[in-house]
Amino acid sequence: MGTLLIVLTYIAYVFIVAVYAIKVRKWLKLPVHIRWDLYPVIHEEQYRYGGSYYEKPEWWTQPRPKNTGRSLWHALKDNFYMGEYFKRNPLYWLFLLPWHLGFIFIILFHITCFFAATAMVGGVTIASDSPQLLGQIFYGILMAFAVIAFIGGTFGCIGMPVIKLADRGLRSYAMPMNYFNYFFFLIVYASGLYSWLALDPTLAEYRMYWVGLITLTPPDLNPATVFHIILFDIFLIYLPFTRSTHYITRLLAYFKIRWDDEPNFRGSMLEKQLNDLLAQKLSWDAPHILKGQSWVEAAISSGLPETKPETKKD
Amino acid sequence: MIRKTGIQDFTKPGGQVAELEPADWMKLPAPYDQMDKPLKKLTEDQRKRMDATLDGVVAIGILPPSMPEEEKAFVDRFLAGVEKLFDAKDNWTFLQPLYHSLEYCVKCQICSDACPAYVASGRQDIYRPTMRPELLRRIISTYVKKEHPLLRKFKASNIELNAQALIRLAELAYRCTLCRRCAQVCLLGCDNALISREIRKIFSQQMGIAPKEVHEKGSVQQIKVGSSTGMTPPALADILEFTEEEIAEKTGKKIKIPVDKKGSDILLLHNAGEFLAWPENLEAFAILFDAAGIDWTLSSELVGYDAVNYGVWYDDVQFARVALRHAQAAKNLGVKRISLGECGHAHKAMIVVADRVLTGELNIPRESALPLMEKIVMSGRIKLDPGRNNFPVTLHDPCNMVRLMGIVEPQRRILRKIAPQFREMTPHGVENYCCGGGSGFAIIQSNNFPDWRSSVSGRMKLKQTLDAFADAPSADVKKYVCAPCSNCKGQYRELFNTYGVWEKSGIFYGGLVELIVNAMADLKQPFIQWEWH
Ligand code: SF4
Ligand code: SF4
Repeated sequence: MGTLLIVLTYIAYVFIVAVYAIKVRKWLKLPVHIRWDLYPVIHEEQYRYGGSYYEKPEWWTQPRPKNTGRSLWHALKDNFYMGEYFKRNPLYWLFLLPWHLGFIFIILFHITCFFAATAMVGGVTIASDSPQLLGQIFYGILMAFAVIAFIGGTFGCIGMPVIKLADRGLRSYAMPMNYFNYFFFLIVYASGLYSWLALDPTLAEYRMYWVGLITLTPPDLNPATVFHIILFDIFLIYLPFTRSTHYITRLLAYFKIRWDDEPNFRGSMLEKQLNDLLAQKLSWDAPHILKGQSWVEAAISSGLPETKPETKKD
Repeated sequence: MIRKTGIQDFTKPGGQVAELEPADWMKLPAPYDQMDKPLKKLTEDQRKRMDATLDGVVAIGILPPSMPEEEKAFVDRFLAGVEKLFDAKDNWTFLQPLYHSLEYCVKCQICSDACPAYVASGRQDIYRPTMRPELLRRIISTYVKKEHPLLRKFKASNIELNAQALIRLAELAYRCTLCRRCAQVCLLGCDNALISREIRKIFSQQMGIAPKEVHEKGSVQQIKVGSSTGMTPPALADILEFTEEEIAEKTGKKIKIPVDKKGSDILLLHNAGEFLAWPENLEAFAILFDAAGIDWTLSSELVGYDAVNYGVWYDDVQFARVALRHAQAAKNLGVKRISLGECGHAHKAMIVVADRVLTGELNIPRESALPLMEKIVMSGRIKLDPGRNNFPVTLHDPCNMVRLMGIVEPQRRILRKIAPQFREMTPHGVENYCCGGGSGFAIIQSNNFPDWRSSVSGRMKLKQTLDAFADAPSADVKKYVCAPCSNCKGQYRELFNTYGVWEKSGIFYGGLVELIVNAMADLKQPFIQWEWH
């Protein structure tokens, strides 16, 4: 069983990382698009009221300072706070936030377990009364992450279907998959909650499991913990099939769409890319577009009926 | 009573999906709360010629195919268009934001209450910002990706398509002003407004279907005769002559409006609607630039004298055609920069969107006229007397200039300096509400669409404008809504006419430059004449 657990865990982690990477790569490989910025753009000097460099006369002659750190902080903090939901639908937020915190913290918990286990292999004792400060810190963080994940996740998974069914707007757009997810994730979190509360109050079993993963030694764990870990591995494999990649793609959308205010200057790399895109052929069928023309040719032509050749190429 | 509309109702053949009743609409302040009338019903004959089964309103007016083969061809053509949306050659322009918005929306509905059309309609389900994307998503799942029926059940992504459902979808794409207020609140970076535009694009670029005011009498006419207003270069010359006479009459100043002055510093692009409907805006620009010693010119070249670019609302190819001709006009004159007058969508189109279409020598620096106006006002070069603008003034933020471009403060700094009774609307700046005439709505005059525009899409703006002047409701106190955008002014004119706002509340509308010129101390008489038009 222990060996199976190790193999399954490795498969789950490799799978989730690979599929997320493929999805993110697919997103990033899409061509440069027309500018579609939306203000406030947080890296802008006047982001507080949503101002842009276009507020300056002859803006192209002026510096355009960009504060990327601020943008990153702004985008990341919403993963943990979701302020727009709090402002606009506090009741929904009450369940949605713990539901999301469950995800984030269960993954953070396991990542921290990995580092803690590495420290244990290096001789550090992880416990509240560890002789090493590092051991005490690890212990505190692990406990905090696990408690937030198990309690938050369980609460969120119970609350989300309730609010989805109670709110007409949410209900009419809900899909069976949502309810399946709430149910499945509830079992994941609740099983973790149970094994923590009933069997393993210091979470020592997870550390053993991670030491086993690192040293490739099958651990000997309580069946309830094993059950939770198997569910968690399946959860990792299932996650990429949900919309969960949005934790990453929302950042991409902020930086590469909403806040993409990069001007196109003559002779720039961007201009070169655009020239290549504009040279591509069109295949739209409407009468004002001549199939087979490039974007440049289409733009130069008027598209008026009298100026079109008799036959339309297909 | 609002009828609850589910997504499945959309594809049911036959009757209307949603009924619009005045009793459901968001309440307006008194006395406007007693004025709503049901929207004009289409005649029997109109109903035969165009499908109005979305909400009883028609913006495009599509004749439903009568034969089964025609219906199949109609649906197939649309589906071929959907495939092209995902083709990097045909749609590199918006593929990334489109893909993101379709793929990553979690249908949390947070964006619904941000939408003025949805809220003002009394929260009609069909106007939720999520409705259009959800329909498109289901079409893709069922007909393009052809996902397994069980998976479609699991994802609730099945749809039974027919021509009528598509016609409703086309109409629905024209119930969104593309104001992008919904997109602004989305924590996942999804943009349902963009999807409205992409749906419009399939209909236009693939099927040749668009409201005639936007396409045939809009961008096509502009390319053909020079302006979407139908104004030709000789007509422009006449209007400019008239404008010069008007300036002389109002101010005693002999100003020659420069046209085709080669090598000028600035080519000023006006929305040609100003020439015909609000010549005082054109006059005020001429007076201000003359007084400030700006080296500027207009162009008389085809398309070069009309800043509008309707393509930005519905069609990338038409967009590129017009943008190219604007840039070409500037290049032919050898100007150093292009400055956009008071037209929001022209700002967005020429300064921002065209930035990734114009390359090489056509990539001439382009900017808004607002910062230049601010520079003039703040420079002290012109003597301004704020006492001349001592009446309540509020500011409308055109979505294209503000939320979509970040030009927020120059107009406010000007108003704070020249309008002592300036007050903000709530909300304002990048969180403003659209005038309700955005994305082509202000120019669509056919059938009963104008009724919908005044009663539904413009309702929120009317309410917040009235609220901004709640301290001085009497018609005896003349008040001014500063709307630095031709399109928004068109919508204000319509709204105020429909509800009799000028007569009942004494609220006038106009541009920003008119207020600046009105404050010019050396003018013998006030420039703003408070003549309703
Ligand atoms: S677009 Fe954004 S805010 Fe609207 S439903 Fe989708 S995820 Fe929610
Ligand atoms: S763009 Fe504006 S009108 Fe359109 S759905 Fe969004 S908020 Fe509503």
